[in-house]
Amino acid sequence: MIEVVLNDRLGKKVRVKCNDDDTIGDLKKLVAAQTGTRSDKIRIQKWYTIYKDHITLKDYEIHDGMGLELYYS
Amino acid sequence: MSLILELINEFHRLKINVAVVLSFSKQSLTCKIPKPSFFLPELCYEMANRTDPAAKSIRGTNPQNLVEKIVRSKIYQNTYWKEQCFGLTAETLVDKAMELDHLGGTFGGNRKPTPFMCLIMKMLQIQPEKDIVVEFIKNDDYKYVRILGAFYLRLTGTDIDIYRYLEPLYNDYRKLRQRLPDGNFSLTHVDEVIDELLTKDYSCDIAMPRIKKRWNLETVGALEPRKSVLEDDFEEEEEKEENDQLDDGMEDGAYEKDYHHGRSPARERDRDRDRDRDRDRDRRRDSYRYRDRDYDRDRDYDRDRDYDRDYDRERGRGRERDRDRGRDRDRDRYRLREEKEYGREREREREREGRDRDRDRRDRDRGRRRSRSMSPSRDRKRYARGSMSPRRHADEPEDAVTRAEPKKKKEKKEKKDDGTDHPDPEIAEANRIRASLGLKPLKL
Repeated sequence: MIEVVLNDRLGKKVRVKCNDDDTIGDLKKLVAAQTGTRSDKIRIQKWYTIYKDHITLKDYEIHDGMGLELYYS
Repeated sequence: MSLILELINEFHRLKINVAVVLSFSKQSLTCKIPKPSFFLPELCYEMANRTDPAAKSIRGTNPQNLVEKIVRSKIYQNTYWKEQCFGLTAETLVDKAMELDHLGGTFGGNRKPTPFMCLIMKMLQIQPEKDIVVEFIKNDDYKYVRILGAFYLRLTGTDIDIYRYLEPLYNDYRKLRQRLPDGNFSLTHVDEVIDELLTKDYSCDIAMPRIKKRWNLETVGALEPRKSVLEDDFEEEEEKEENDQLDDGMEDGAYEKDYHHGRSPARERDRDRDRDRDRDRDRRRDSYRYRDRDYDRDRDYDRDRDYDRDYDRERGRGRERDRDRGRDRDRDRYRLREEKEYGREREREREREGRDRDRDRRDRDRGRRRSRSMSPSRDRKRYARGSMSPRRHADEPEDAVTRAEPKKKKEKKEKKDDGTDHPDPEIAEANRIRASLGLKPLKL
């Protein structure tokens, strides 16, 4: 279980607990459940790299405590 | 020249003095610029996106704000919007609408809006009259124009209007092409889209305003109860079945045949009723078979009369009452009829039977008559059922055991899989959310 921090720099900072074999799509659903936006409107980035929905966190090498950027589309 | 006319049109709509515009555009008259929005002063470009100042506000806000900010910006930046939707009036909008060939929200990685969305935005901007919108909906030739009108009405109309104008569209079965968010096309139908509009609160990347539920409006009296076009067909089917039953009550074969025919299309309520009745008949038939042989004599006579009465009551007055009073009133005959909810499990049914049976015996022992029905066949049945055949008793413990087992199994399963009972409340909460989203629990 890892815990990822997502920050949208506009006031929303969210800590989400997830497995490392969850996909980014699952992570978006968890974030949507916590923030209240729709999961298909969320975009997770790391400095211009937009993370794709079907790839797991482990493959993106997202570790415990890592910070990701939260944007909306 | 036509460009200038379009421009004048647009400015006129925005109530800007046309004379001023002419002086602006003197420059552009000399150069051959096809796309005015890129070359004329910024002012024009920004203004193109403003709502008509005379337009009324919808749901307390600028009508364009019904589409949320990000999607709105995407539409304004879209080429289709800039080229085709500039200077549109209600008439020219119809022409553009007739050229539509698919509907959808935003698609692709970039969230590009479809022309359908751009036209919706344009309609929100120019605010056509209600009769124009109703014309869009009523027109039969162009299905996308119809959907456009329906969508706009759903966004801007009153609750009553929405139900009144959109429900007839349930009868339209034509195919539509829909653009999915990943960019592919898929098949859908007009009535599916209308259903989505009426029941869901989000469609084509636009959040639908909340409307009152239909039954609310019915209780207030603002709307008639929903009458489906299939209602007549269904009633015919039911009557036919009823008649068949009266005629040849003896044969089980007839039942089989009837309830296969009796399947009526696509309406949930009807399907429920069908299924319930089928299950009733089924169960009644089966249970009769392995009950006492004393029954056989009165079985069919009872069943027919009971069925009719059941059927009338059920149809006439709704199921809640049956369910509530079902226990008391209907113990023998009706108790086999389960709740009218879809998907009720067999265990609970058997449980109820067991309970009823206990009560039955108890009552009989005490000699108390709780039945309210005056049918003679009923009494006959009660006495007949009173026999303490060994078979009967054998059923009871079986039921009790089977009843308890599935419950236990279910609880155990929940404990193991979900992880929602983890001692740490945060993890339990996270697991609960994951379970509701359909994800596996956290690996600790």
